Amino acid sequence: MLKWAKKYMLLILFWGFIGVFALLDLLIPWREFSEMENRYLARPPVFSTDGMIKNTYTQKYEEYINDQFFLRDGWITLKSIGESALGRIENNGIIYGQDHYLFDKVTHMDLRQLERNIGHIEMFLQNYSDKHITLTLIPNSYAVLGDKLPAGFNAFDQLSVIQEYNDRVRAAGGNVCDIVPALMEHSGEYIYYRTDHHWTTTGAYLAYEAYANSLGVGYKNLSGMNGYEVEDFLGTYYSKAKPFSAVPDSITWYDIGAASVMIDGQEYPGLYNWDMFQRRDKYAAFIYSNNGLTVIESGANLNHRADEVSRVLVIKDSYGNSFVPFLLYSFDEVYAVDMRYLLDIDELLDAVAFDDIYILYNLASFAQDTNVFRINP
Amino acid sequence: MVFSSILFLFRFMPAAFLLYYLTPRRWKNLLLFLLSVLFYCWGEVRYVPLMLASTLVNYAVGRGIEKFRRSKVACRLFLALSVTFNLGSLLFFKYANFFIGNINTFFGCGLGLLSVTLPLSISFYTLRTMAYSIDVCRGNSPVERDFIDFAAFVTLFPQLIAGPIVKYTDISVELKERKVCADQIQRGVFTFIMGLGSKVLIADNIGSLWNEVEALGFANISTPLAWMGVLAFSLQIYFDFGGYSLMAIGLGHMLGFEFPQNFNYPYISKSVTEFWRRWHMTLGGWFREYVYIPLGGNHKGKVRQYFNIFVVLALIGFWHGASWSFVCWGLYFAVFLCLEKMFLLKWLKKGRVWSRMYLLFTVVLGWALFAVADFGQLRQFLHRMFVFSPGMDWVYYLRNYGITFIMGILLSTPILKRAQKRLNNPAADAAFSVAVLVASVAYLVDSSYNPFLYFRI
Repeated sequence: MLKWAKKYMLLILFWGFIGVFALLDLLIPWREFSEMENRYLARPPVFSTDGMIKNTYTQKYEEYINDQFFLRDGWITLKSIGESALGRIENNGIIYGQDHYLFDKVTHMDLRQLERNIGHIEMFLQNYSDKHITLTLIPNSYAVLGDKLPAGFNAFDQLSVIQEYNDRVRAAGGNVCDIVPALMEHSGEYIYYRTDHHWTTTGAYLAYEAYANSLGVGYKNLSGMNGYEVEDFLGTYYSKAKPFSAVPDSITWYDIGAASVMIDGQEYPGLYNWDMFQRRDKYAAFIYSNNGLTVIESGANLNHRADEVSRVLVIKDSYGNSFVPFLLYSFDEVYAVDMRYLLDIDELLDAVAFDDIYILYNLASFAQDTNVFRINP
Repeated sequence: MVFSSILFLFRFMPAAFLLYYLTPRRWKNLLLFLLSVLFYCWGEVRYVPLMLASTLVNYAVGRGIEKFRRSKVACRLFLALSVTFNLGSLLFFKYANFFIGNINTFFGCGLGLLSVTLPLSISFYTLRTMAYSIDVCRGNSPVERDFIDFAAFVTLFPQLIAGPIVKYTDISVELKERKVCADQIQRGVFTFIMGLGSKVLIADNIGSLWNEVEALGFANISTPLAWMGVLAFSLQIYFDFGGYSLMAIGLGHMLGFEFPQNFNYPYISKSVTEFWRRWHMTLGGWFREYVYIPLGGNHKGKVRQYFNIFVVLALIGFWHGASWSFVCWGLYFAVFLCLEKMFLLKWLKKGRVWSRMYLLFTVVLGWALFAVADFGQLRQFLHRMFVFSPGMDWVYYLRNYGITFIMGILLSTPILKRAQKRLNNPAADAAFSVAVLVASVAYLVDSSYNPFLYFRI
């Protein structure tokens, strides 16, 4: 018996492995959401003869089988180990940089979409030429921390695009708050997350400081704020590449007095969604992530003058979420809108007077966002 | 359905083989036929009727030739029916738009293109069924009287999608009498896993380098990167197609069939002549048997031989795809084959290193021709290869793919096979195989890139 087993070892192992995993895979119920990958997993597709003929059903079914495969998270980690063993310094579109920094692997950006979006901004400046409008385009981590990218990799040149667009906005009569110098000056500090595509709260602060200076309003120094750290943050880059050698980030949030927080007409207890700090996507804690219209009344405005209400409107993407709280030190009311969830703002702009309309996008979003056109009536 | 997928490995394969091993011998072929049709359905339901029609026609032709054996005319008529049907469907579905496009270009017509898609594996099963009809007519093959057995032969799922081009004569005996024995199954498992690893761990990996080079644009890459790119493609196409053939052969063993070898370390060849006897052996064999030899082979003088070589290689190129670039690729090799036959071969055989370098250079350049379909892009790419263009981009890609390159280059030689023979340790083989299998599954689960280059041939 044992001799037989030794002779056919491979056969037994092969069918054993295939059989056990096939059976377990069939029996284990399917998952809806993957914490590790921070995305919803494919669900069992509905069979249709039409889908079969057009091969849509077969494709969906294969996605479903892959997504729901038994011990998927373990297999993903194993692949990551394999990639590192092969000396690979990238996985699934994420580059492994120095000092455990992960970067988005970007050699090209959608120049057409960038053109379209800057065109919308220019039109916005024309439509609302009577209002004070400021633009900041935020460079992504690989543009500022370029020295941490591996040798020979030609990343897309974000800084030239930002420069060009800054010039165009100035030419169209708008104001520009260029935060690139501030970010470059502090590039040796912890201004971008290692495992996530966002900037850290420190990076957001640098932008706040630059913005306040560009408007000529008073601002609070970071050293005077009460900061709290949340550890073990593994962000979007980690979720994509799952490198087993990743070093988690720590998120710092600041205790800033908000008198009231209204999101899409509903009252919320504060600036931060504490639940998210317990989950994988910790960045989503900032101002309850991306929503249509967020209105915050400040209780800490340093510049407050009696009988006056200073207001700022921030048209933003998710980078703005960690930026907006700082504005409470400089304005009485902060309106934050995300054009992916708010269909239009012309009513808001007609009804409410803002000291400044601040358009704040990171360049990666700006190159992909198809909702910027909504800022125009 | 692709073999290198979780769906195949953990759903189709265990179910199919469980059923197959449990089924009594007399129903095995029927089961195989049904499983294979199901397998084909998963890839393309629409063209199942076409495949079944081809099976029916060629079966009938075989029976017809047998019945009217005495009449040569009848024999030829039946053969004509088979060839017309097979070639006709191939020409229509695969090449109609090519011909229409060319007519438009050369005669200035404005004919509309047909909206047909290429039926899955038509390039393969038409060759195989035509070979059957021709062999029966020539008297080289027994006739298959049992329709189910014949249908099982045509649709046999291991080699249905992408070869090897298994002829009826290759497996006519096994169709009727095969035993399923553990030794053969285990051999099959080993071969299958080697094929799986070749495709998933090497081909898919190194293939993404070529993809990236294409995405960067040939105008934007340095010369070293251009060479790395085409080398990557050379490795990808070998391990992709070779790997798939190994998987097919392995599955065949597991069912009790011995399929012919399809790749025999082509990159260690010393001449283009030798290369075409080691690369896609079943295809070369088919064209030699059914095109080159009927044209006269080398029996009608040198000039006719060179002509025959050009025709055969042009057709082989054309078989790979409905485009002039593939024909040119074939003709490119025809030039070298003729040069070798004229005088080069004697010298090449004497060399050990320089002849291999000659072959590798020739073949890799050929792959550039094959991989870049558009002539304008090809010119740009060749310019990059031969006119030095500086840049540091290759450093990044070398770091990323260096080890994969080394693995690919080493495994293109028989080094692993020799080590296995010398070690002669089944336990080590088993351990190695399981490691490759587990690694392949990991890469399949998290795959963002799992193409199969020959899927649309």
